[in-house]
Amino acid sequence: MLNPAEKAYLQALQALREKQYGQAAGYFDRAVEFFGNNREFSLLRETTNLLLEVKKTIAAAEGRNDDVSIAEEII
Amino acid sequence: MSRTDTLKSLEVVLESFLERAVSLKSGRLDVLDGINRLDDIARLKSEPGPFPQPDLSDRIGEWFAQHSGWMEDTTLRPSDRNRIGQILGGIRQELNGLGQSTPSTEKIQTEIARWQSLMTPASSQSRPTAGRKIVLRKGPESLDEAGVHPSNQDSIGLFAESLKTMAGLFADFSRDRLHLMSILDDSLKTASLKKSREALLLSASIIYYLKQNGYMVEPFVKRLKEAEQLQKRSRAGA
Repeated sequence: MLNPAEKAYLQALQALREKQYGQAAGYFDRAVEFFGNNREFSLLRETTNLLLEVKKTIAAAEGRNDDVSIAEEII
Repeated sequence: MSRTDTLKSLEVVLESFLERAVSLKSGRLDVLDGINRLDDIARLKSEPGPFPQPDLSDRIGEWFAQHSGWMEDTTLRPSDRNRIGQILGGIRQELNGLGQSTPSTEKIQTEIARWQSLMTPASSQSRPTAGRKIVLRKGPESLDEAGVHPSNQDSIGLFAESLKTMAGLFADFSRDRLHLMSILDDSLKTASLKKSREALLLSASIIYYLKQNGYMVEPFVKRLKEAEQLQKRSRAGA
């Protein structure tokens, strides 16, 4: 039988294949206790987390840009 | 280039990296997905209630049909074959335990037997005992106290390697020794001084063997725990 962490790692990879990065990060978290020492696992997990952070920052920055341009107009 | 443009470039690079990394594992992913689905079927079947036999027959039949190519080609690793053989063995045993024979269950039994004969060596195939249902259930795995992780890559192969190393250590320690306790003493020293994980595992195995044979093992258990803590600290400091 596959253990829950193995299933979670597999689901994370499938989510990556579907470009569902948020889901993938959740599955990686579930598998981390079992695979935490595995370099490939860690690389994929950290890259996914970094990508999510970048996406979040871009979204926030694009929101902030609007604010900045309004502020610049006022100034 | 603005900060946002830089971040967008990084986003593209990261997405591309992940896409390529997953693409490289595409073949393995398909295999693991197949094993996972068979595992899901086995788990559903193990639970009482809402899954009637025809549904089970359909699901396993569908799985066999989808993965018939695995019987001929070399996609599967030996560890994959072992796993599939074990899961099928569990399904087969449970079907035997149900004691209901219908054409569809007989067909499944025949197909399972065919797959098992191809997936596992004859010597390791399960032999179900008539009228007795044995189900092994595995709980969620976690870190042991020594912080040892079984690898996801090939736990069976890695364990086999570990066993070989332990056998080598045992052969070394047993030279000129008259009693198993002397070997255990050497093994515990190696586990503590050289931080050898295999020596630790060998020591634990010998202690359990001695305990099973009525020896007082408490002092050795204490030393084993100390060695384990030493190794744990050593890993944490590495």
